[in-house]
Amino acid sequence: MSNDGTIHARAIRKSFGPKTVLKDIDLDIASGEICCIIGPSGSGKSTVLRCINGLEAVDSGVLKVNGEDFGYYETDTAYHALSPKKLAEQRTRVGMVFQQFNLFPNMTALENVMAGPVLVKGADKKASAKRAHELLASVGLAGFGDYYPAQLSGGQQQRVAIARSLAMDPEIMLFDEPTSALDPEKVGEVLMVMQDLAKKGMTMVVVTHEMGFAREVADTLIFMDDGYVVERGDAREVLRNPKEPRTQAFLEKVI
Amino acid sequence: MQPTTIESSETTMSGIDPKLKPRLRRRSTFEYVAWVVCSLIGIGLLISVSTNPNFKWDVVLKYMTYETILRGLMLTIFLTLASMALGTLLGLALAVMRSSSIKPVAATAGAYITLFRGTPVLVQLIFWFNVSALYPNLSIGIPFTNIGTAIDMNALMAPITAALVGLTLNEAAYMAEIIRGGFSAVGKGQIEAADSLGMSGSMKMRKVIIPQAMPSIIPATGNQFIGMFKETSLVSVLGVAELLQSAQLIYARTYETIPLLIVASLWYLVMTLLLSYPQSKLEQKYSRATSRLPRKAKKVVLTDPEGIAR
Repeated sequence: MSNDGTIHARAIRKSFGPKTVLKDIDLDIASGEICCIIGPSGSGKSTVLRCINGLEAVDSGVLKVNGEDFGYYETDTAYHALSPKKLAEQRTRVGMVFQQFNLFPNMTALENVMAGPVLVKGADKKASAKRAHELLASVGLAGFGDYYPAQLSGGQQQRVAIARSLAMDPEIMLFDEPTSALDPEKVGEVLMVMQDLAKKGMTMVVVTHEMGFAREVADTLIFMDDGYVVERGDAREVLRNPKEPRTQAFLEKVI
Repeated sequence: MQPTTIESSETTMSGIDPKLKPRLRRRSTFEYVAWVVCSLIGIGLLISVSTNPNFKWDVVLKYMTYETILRGLMLTIFLTLASMALGTLLGLALAVMRSSSIKPVAATAGAYITLFRGTPVLVQLIFWFNVSALYPNLSIGIPFTNIGTAIDMNALMAPITAALVGLTLNEAAYMAEIIRGGFSAVGKGQIEAADSLGMSGSMKMRKVIIPQAMPSIIPATGNQFIGMFKETSLVSVLGVAELLQSAQLIYARTYETIPLLIVASLWYLVMTLLLSYPQSKLEQKYSRATSRLPRKAKKVVLTDPEGIAR
């Protein structure tokens, strides 16, 4: 059994009521791969990410994260939902960064970063605090530990959110439009932190509108539209020379 | 013709520099009328209250610190504290149940809240006082075995017990709705963030949802507390010697009805005013997360230049 940050999906389907948002999605993301997902809004790209983290349950299809069936266990006849405890355990190995940061406003930056290790893993408080300080420093926020999220700028909050996810030592990091809610001048500082992370060999799946980031950092690029994966391939290759007409039309508008 | 400049007006209009002149608020005619009318009414009431001998202010003063009254006040305070504490705990449990995704659990809490909010608290109090007519013996035990014990309901439901049970069960229904309202004010993103960290349901509740629901729950609870303080006067119908009943016991003997009602009212007023102070303190405490100053600001040790993203 491999637990090294791979994601494999086969024919994932997901509907919200009568609306089918994911139609037979296949994914193969290798360990250490940086994969960007682009596409128009409503194309299902965020939903893919939320399924990999278990925030949404897939309706059908095979989803293996870190080499294990995610959220379910397989028998001869069906997939059975895992107990909340086991699901939580799998989730701790997949970090998620949200568009709206979603820091806990009742905790300081340091407490936010410590929340995972201390509250979920039961780690030692002192050691976790030391680690949290290191993590905050690594995202360029040394000395900001005692600030509450409301006292930080959007870019700083998002960097705290990244540190919070990293504190769980996940094998995979998911980014759901991490810079879309930021002032244009704060986008760079968050992308820089993500680029650092990519260099360290973390598996990353990034839903983004930042084509520059996709071009410079991503290994592979997936273009989604209307619940389908329309095109996938080497990031620079797809951006420079898109094959599908739908991808061409989209890229013409955004670049 | 003289050139009209700003400077020239300085010399024509008195000695004050116009840049320093105060700007005065305009008072409408209505404002002057309101002052006069309200002052007249106030003075009239004051004269009437102080000169009418039937108010018997000396009697009011005498009974303010009378032992029976103070004992009644103590009981009122006890009933308020106890029923609020128990009611809040039960209300929290009901709110958690009501938010449950398991249908029968949510429906049970919903039915409870409907029943206890939908009937008058006075009726509920009298009902609990007379519940022994419905269940003469309360037996606690394991069904289909002999293990267990039976309690005489009549002895158990003494007036004070009935008062406490009635007020608590009623308050719980109201608190449940207040707390649930606070829960639903917590953003969906917060719950998703907690989920993605792998927090369990109870951990999410304790560390994420409840602390964030507090700012909206606290002020409402303060109001409930003040309301409960006055609501306890209803239990006088059960013969519980709380503040109002104590006053009634005295005037039944002395026929000094109004002075003793004033005594009780003054105590209710004083306690209500005292309760609003801790409420505002609690509100301040829970609004900390959005305050501008960092907590423990002095303890920050700067090891690196502040917040420089490399």
